[in-house]
Amino acid sequence: MSRRPLISILLLWLCSLGPALAGGGHALPLHAPRLSDYLPINNSMIAVWIAVGLIVLFCRAATKQMKLIPSGIQNFAEWLFESLYGFLEGLLGEHLTKRTFWFLGATFFFILTVNYLALIPGVGTAGWEVLDEKGGETVGFTPLLRGGNADLNMTAAMAITFALLWFYWAITENGFKGFMAHIFAPKGDFSGVMLVMMIPVFLFVGVLEVVSILIRPVALSFRLFGNIYGGEQTLEKLMLLMPHKALHFLPALPFYFVELLVGFVQALVFTLLCAIFLKLICDHGDEEHH
Amino acid sequence: MMTLLAAAAAPAGEGVLGPFGFSWPLFIAQVINFILVIVILKKFAFGPIQQMLEQRRARIAEGEEKLKRIEKQLADSEEQTAAAIAKANEDAQRLIDEARESAASLSEAKAQEAVDHAQQILAKAEAAAKAERQQIAAELKKEFGKLVAATTAQVTGKVLNDEDKNRINQEALAKVEG
Repeated sequence: MSRRPLISILLLWLCSLGPALAGGGHALPLHAPRLSDYLPINNSMIAVWIAVGLIVLFCRAATKQMKLIPSGIQNFAEWLFESLYGFLEGLLGEHLTKRTFWFLGATFFFILTVNYLALIPGVGTAGWEVLDEKGGETVGFTPLLRGGNADLNMTAAMAITFALLWFYWAITENGFKGFMAHIFAPKGDFSGVMLVMMIPVFLFVGVLEVVSILIRPVALSFRLFGNIYGGEQTLEKLMLLMPHKALHFLPALPFYFVELLVGFVQALVFTLLCAIFLKLICDHGDEEHH
Repeated sequence: MMTLLAAAAAPAGEGVLGPFGFSWPLFIAQVINFILVIVILKKFAFGPIQQMLEQRRARIAEGEEKLKRIEKQLADSEEQTAAAIAKANEDAQRLIDEARESAASLSEAKAQEAVDHAQQILAKAEAAAKAERQQIAAELKKEFGKLVAATTAQVTGKVLNDEDKNRINQEALAKVEG
């Protein structure tokens, strides 16, 4: 038997195993359960650290014996890195990309890895039953691992970190005065009475802009959390459509591939929105005049 | 922003975000977690790759710079070579012209010399021929005189003395030459 059918069968088996183990009849709770009463650690954090470990291992393997003419895993890592860098450079320009890529690039690969890790069989399903106080009946289920982005605390942490960095980059790029002027000052060539009339309008627009800026982290965190949590819930609920346990994987199988796509798209959307928000505040409108 | 979050999440677990699993301790832990993640990725993952890419970019830029310099040097060299070739051609043409002029003048001198030499040979030949002719004529005259004297002696039956012989010779020669 040639290698290609073997790989296809293995992939199909893995894909079937994923949804089969993904739910197991347990509904994924909205909150990630804490694993310790003393430390603020939950099961999504463990998944996050595993994802980070995987990324670091991959990068260490890629950079272990770096050569000027790359090959193998170094070549692949550089291709990933350069593709994203080039994509962001087209959006942000050379200067901003060089300044912010460490955050945007890390965020993209981090979200992507965490999303895909959540689709690995066992994540969200391997765990222990929670019994009632008497120790008789099962009242819940605590998975050992949970998709990192299926935890609002994680997505909110990313969004807030970006928001703080956004302020830092915006102020250092524009200066505080320029930053405030970017939000509140009238745009366009107004003069005389027209300028006086436009000032309150743009002040009001500025207030709306401030509200928009404050809403952004909330939107960022809920978009990612909603999509990933929703995807996991969809897989679990779809499996319950089949009466027999052996066939649970079948309705979820097509959506498993959709989740692979969603995992990538959501990583891209989060990174892209961060880049666009940054571009909006750091854009001086010079390019339009050239 | 944080106030917005605080308002949404407070009191703990019962705010707007509470039902979605938001919790302040976990949130703060995740913020610290994420910052650590970013720092670790920057140091161990992105740093070396970015450094290598920048090193390669610098090397490529340096290579391009060198290439430009080499191209310029090549162009200069070609220009210098072309100038040297042009100068060499010019020199060669000048030498050829000079050689041609020199050869022409030399050839003319040699030709003149040959002509002079030929004329000398011709003059000598003419002189020799003339001398020879005079000698032959003298001999002929002598033989003719002897012949005339012998004939006269036979015809007249007289023995001629030297004076008679000279006179008869002179008369006969005068008639022949006359």
